[in-house]
Amino acid sequence: MKKYRFVTVFDLLTEYITQGRITLDRKRFPQLATYHDPCNYGRKAQLRFGHGFFEEPRWILSQCVERWVDLYPDRMNQTCCGGGGGTLVTGYNDERIYYGRRKMEQIKATGAQMLVVPCHSCHGQLENIKAHYGRADLEVKYLWELVADTLVLPSDAT
Amino acid sequence: MTTPTDVNTLRLDAGRNWPYSQDACMTCGMCACVCPVSGVDGFDPRRLIRLAVLGMQPELVESRWPWICTMCGKCENVCPMEVRIADVVRRVRSLRERDHVPGSLHKGLAAALATGNNLRLPKEDFLFILEDVAGEIREEPGFEDLQVRVDKKGARVLTTIHNKLVNTHTEDLKHWWKIFHAAGEDWTVSSENWEGTSWGYFTGDDAAMKTMAGRILQQMEALEIDTLLWPE
Repeated sequence: MKKYRFVTVFDLLTEYITQGRITLDRKRFPQLATYHDPCNYGRKAQLRFGHGFFEEPRWILSQCVERWVDLYPDRMNQTCCGGGGGTLVTGYNDERIYYGRRKMEQIKATGAQMLVVPCHSCHGQLENIKAHYGRADLEVKYLWELVADTLVLPSDAT
Repeated sequence: MTTPTDVNTLRLDAGRNWPYSQDACMTCGMCACVCPVSGVDGFDPRRLIRLAVLGMQPELVESRWPWICTMCGKCENVCPMEVRIADVVRRVRSLRERDHVPGSLHKGLAAALATGNNLRLPKEDFLFILEDVAGEIREEPGFEDLQVRVDKKGARVLTTIHNKLVNTHTEDLKHWWKIFHAAGEDWTVSSENWEGTSWGYFTGDDAAMKTMAGRILQQMEALEIDTLLWPE
């Protein structure tokens, strides 16, 4: 039987960085960043498959920025952003926005200006609720968006 | 000794549709302490589990509770009896009549099963959007010769696309493409069955998830590609 290889976003980004296929500039985003562990990449992956992706995204983030801090609590004990389980499209929006209050409190407590996430649902949720919780200024970025925005290109050499 | 009138003891084991561990629940409340949904609409993971233990399946299936739960798994992480609460929730969701699945969850999935993507986006529109976005990237310095090769046989990596990226968030298509370009990756995207989401995960529809995953594998087979990036 033919075998196929499945890679996560973390596997591929790590591969590109460690093999020197891409170079990143850690000075472009001097503001303080923080990282949100998605339930499915982290806790549920750990519970279901025996490996939660906790360290991989943090290593990648460290290649992109110089200053970042963890939320508290994080990893296995992280708080759901509120956008999981399909709640972004079930129509139960009042509930969904309410669930996000703890995540927004955590983010505010770090003083971070930028929130990095590697999940489409978490990104959609946090982008959607940030103004509701008084943080319209919070920059919500996909992890791979941050990588793309810190790429050093041949044309950058001046 | 009397039997409580609102519990039909004949239902305790009859017609139970899941082989899970809810019977081990001691109602200790660890789950309720960490659950982001506790208190909303009278929800408490223990109450949901208790309905399952008591065999009150119809009540559970019609309840809003399984759908307002985000299946985040905090409950399972702290449960001393290792009750797989999020799995019970997902299983209960699977028993809801498909037309009564809330919001656009099942509609999106039905569209994906029928057309290959949640949006029912025709192939020509999909291809137009990809080329349009590629054109925008090419206007940025350093990306002048960026190419998006659709259905490229023998490429190293196939990637799926989240439907929102060819709908309301086309800007977000650019990030991975820029990275691929900078890394000199030999990548491609399929012109059909490119959908990266699999909403059977949310609706408890295992058969649909299998179909969606199988289609991606078929694309890999047809295009002779070994590696899949499935960013959703």
